[in-house]
Amino acid sequence: MKHLISCEKVRLRNIDQGAIMKLNKILKNAFLIIFACIALSACATSKKSTGQMQGDVYTGTDTVEYLASGVPDRVFFATNESVLTTASRETLRKQAAWLRKNSKITIVLEGHADERGTREYNLALGERRANAAKDYLMTYGISSDRISVLSYGKERPVDSGSNPLAWSKNRRSVTVKAN
Amino acid sequence: MNRNIIISSALHVALIMITAVSLPFLAKKPIDLPPIVSIELIQITDKTNIPFAPKAKKTIEKIKEKEKKLVSEQAPPKKVKKIKPDAVPMPKDDVKKVEKIKEDKQNPEKIDDEVKQVSEFEKDELFDPNNIAALIDKSKEETADTVKKTDKVTQDQQKSVSTTGLSLSEEDALKAQIFGCWSIPLGLPYNENLLVRIKLQLKPDGTVVQSEILDHARMNKPGQGFYKVLAESALRAIKLCQPLRVPTTGYERWKELQLNFDAREMLEG
Amino acid sequence: MNRLLIFIFFTFFSFKAFALIEVDITRGNLNPLPIAVSPLSIDENSRKQFEKKLKKKNIGSEISIVVEKNLKTSGLFNPLNKDAFLQAPDIANLKPRFEDWNLIKAQALITGKVSYVDDKLRVEFRLWDVLAGKEMMALAFTTVPNNWRRVGHIITDKVYERLTGEKGYFDTRIIYVAEEGPKTRRIKKLAIMDQDGENNKFLTLGNELVLTPRFNPTSQMVTYLSYFRNLPRVYLLDIETGMQEVVGDFPGMTFAPRFSPNGKKIIMSFAKDGNSDIYTMDLENRIVEKITNHPSIDTSPSYSPDGKYICFNSDRSGYQQIYIMKSDGSNVKRISFGKGLYGTPVWSPRGDLIAFTKLHKGKFYIGVMRTDGSGERLLTENFYQEAPSWSPNGRVLIFYRETKTDSKGEGFSAKLWSIDLTGYNERLVSTPTDASDPSWSSLLSN
Repeated sequence: MKHLISCEKVRLRNIDQGAIMKLNKILKNAFLIIFACIALSACATSKKSTGQMQGDVYTGTDTVEYLASGVPDRVFFATNESVLTTASRETLRKQAAWLRKNSKITIVLEGHADERGTREYNLALGERRANAAKDYLMTYGISSDRISVLSYGKERPVDSGSNPLAWSKNRRSVTVKAN
Repeated sequence: MNRNIIISSALHVALIMITAVSLPFLAKKPIDLPPIVSIELIQITDKTNIPFAPKAKKTIEKIKEKEKKLVSEQAPPKKVKKIKPDAVPMPKDDVKKVEKIKEDKQNPEKIDDEVKQVSEFEKDELFDPNNIAALIDKSKEETADTVKKTDKVTQDQQKSVSTTGLSLSEEDALKAQIFGCWSIPLGLPYNENLLVRIKLQLKPDGTVVQSEILDHARMNKPGQGFYKVLAESALRAIKLCQPLRVPTTGYERWKELQLNFDAREMLEG
Repeated sequence: MNRLLIFIFFTFFSFKAFALIEVDITRGNLNPLPIAVSPLSIDENSRKQFEKKLKKKNIGSEISIVVEKNLKTSGLFNPLNKDAFLQAPDIANLKPRFEDWNLIKAQALITGKVSYVDDKLRVEFRLWDVLAGKEMMALAFTTVPNNWRRVGHIITDKVYERLTGEKGYFDTRIIYVAEEGPKTRRIKKLAIMDQDGENNKFLTLGNELVLTPRFNPTSQMVTYLSYFRNLPRVYLLDIETGMQEVVGDFPGMTFAPRFSPNGKKIIMSFAKDGNSDIYTMDLENRIVEKITNHPSIDTSPSYSPDGKYICFNSDRSGYQQIYIMKSDGSNVKRISFGKGLYGTPVWSPRGDLIAFTKLHKGKFYIGVMRTDGSGERLLTENFYQEAPSWSPNGRVLIFYRETKTDSKGEGFSAKLWSIDLTGYNERLVSTPTDASDPSWSSLLSN
């Protein structure tokens, strides 16, 4: 029955263009909405499926090295951000504890950015990220004399790939022993 | 069970309708795009890329030899270490060290002759290229002027005022011809007022007897380089188009003709 | 009787002026101008001398090839195939048969003569308007034989200027960063070459990371960023002597250097405690001035050619955008308002435009806008490209582009590209190695 009606409408189209144009518009909108819904749901699922990222902050451990047992050397950032995540703060607290135990060690904080930015801006962004880590270490009692900061911008990626996961690994601040 | 079938078929119908109605709409879209402007795209030719590679290797080798002498202060690590073995220096130290090495190198090699030879170019102009007289092309037929003028008086009186101007089709034919001949200088600025007016005297067959730039004083004014370039290109276009595609009748109407060359529209697009 | 004649004469004249038919020509073709570059003629003795000195069989045709390549690269000229030339070079230089050149559709013609005079290279050349049948220009140069390529560039500059009305950009050089090795351990060296990619030379060995070299518009000096001893600082390099020095005494990273238009100051960013601001240093008295004072990132400064304004990149709005201000740091005004992020603003040497890199939806664009931010035009789009630098006449931009070499996006190559303001004439600038961060010099001769 319904099929018949739709056939009628298709035939109608030839007769009354004006009415169909209106219908056309409505249907087009409906179509777009459905399409958008599908696209959105696809996005939502793909985000979950990567597993190594939360939002676009890297949460994996592939590239992480350890300053001492249980003390990761690096923290990761969201695109264009220098705000420390909860996980980053935990890592830095571990580093602070380790630094308090080994009071002769001095460190360099190396700030990095991903390749999706202009070179000079990324140098500044890397510096800002390394300083975010430095500030946090200082609030946990590490003297600023023991910390120096170095930005590499996007010059020293750990992952040379060009995909969201690689970029998330490259947005980082790495704590390196200087002596 | 029945409900499911109904829902399913309803959704199918909806889908079919959506495709049936919206697809033609989508297909129509490209027609709305602005017409493609026919401008020649210059692709990178193979010539510019391929032959370079073997050459480059040679140059690199040469450079490597040269480099040993010319290296920057930063570059030779041995020397640097001898001078300052201690850890991370402050920027000030760098300056001092740089100066030290400067002294070490009594004769800093010339990195490059060519840079210095800038001044060695001796330049002399052989001719004065800016010659106003040459711009007005009075090559032929200046003698018959007076005779013509008296002719005109009588004929102009006979002519009715309404016949001034070319008909649309006549004008279009002439324009179309000149469009084809005029290579617009692509380097001109599009935001300057550049209008070149040229007065032509024509023979009945469309041959140009004389062409005169009406603002020719502007041609050689300093800072009017673009105007001059445009004027010259317009003159070339007229030369290239000769004989002009003029109407077959009514010579008296168009024996003198003014062409206004304006490239702005083209340069903007 | 006389009076009557004059009266008639005047009425006729005024009538004529009124009746003169005007036709507006508002369209033409945008094809490059067909031009014939006749090989420069050379006498047998001179030819042998130069062959001995320069190892080039016929220096006359070599120079004309340089000219031809330059003209073609500009996109404004179409050098015609030499096989079609009817007239021999030596005769053409004396008196071209314009009908012959007209026949192959040449609108302009370059002829010339090379001779060996007192161990020097003497070149004389003429530019002819084929359609008008007249000479447009004639010049002669004398120089040391090794400079023969530059002679070709200077001839092109003169021809370009005569035919387009604006200065050329061919007798110029480009300093850039030569790159090698994997992305994670990229080796970078300073390198310099002629504008056409010839005479490539490396200026550093690659022991430390170097970035963003920029020419002084008034001399053979270069400023750049070096990670010497892991201290990223702005350096000065004199290309003629090879001498280098650190610019200023800053307790942190200095970067994004550029010269002022008169070459006497360096403007750059200084980053400390997570904040980057713009500073200048006077190269004569070493006085340092702080220009911006804002807790956001302020970087990539570039002076207007009159030195009165500075455009720069800041994220004070939350994202990277382009701002302009007076050269003392007052009157800061945002000018980029399109969708996406904007970086690397560079003021055109003509003063009318600002070139930039734009990031939008995962694509990188090189574009230009007017200095008030209006009239934005995107010239080229790609997966990754940035850092435009203007040719000295403000018509062409050189920038660098990274392209992926396989589908997985693993291998990649970085090359220099040039594009003119029309956006149509895009070309690869060949370099022996991978390359980035190009900077165009001023004209070496004037």
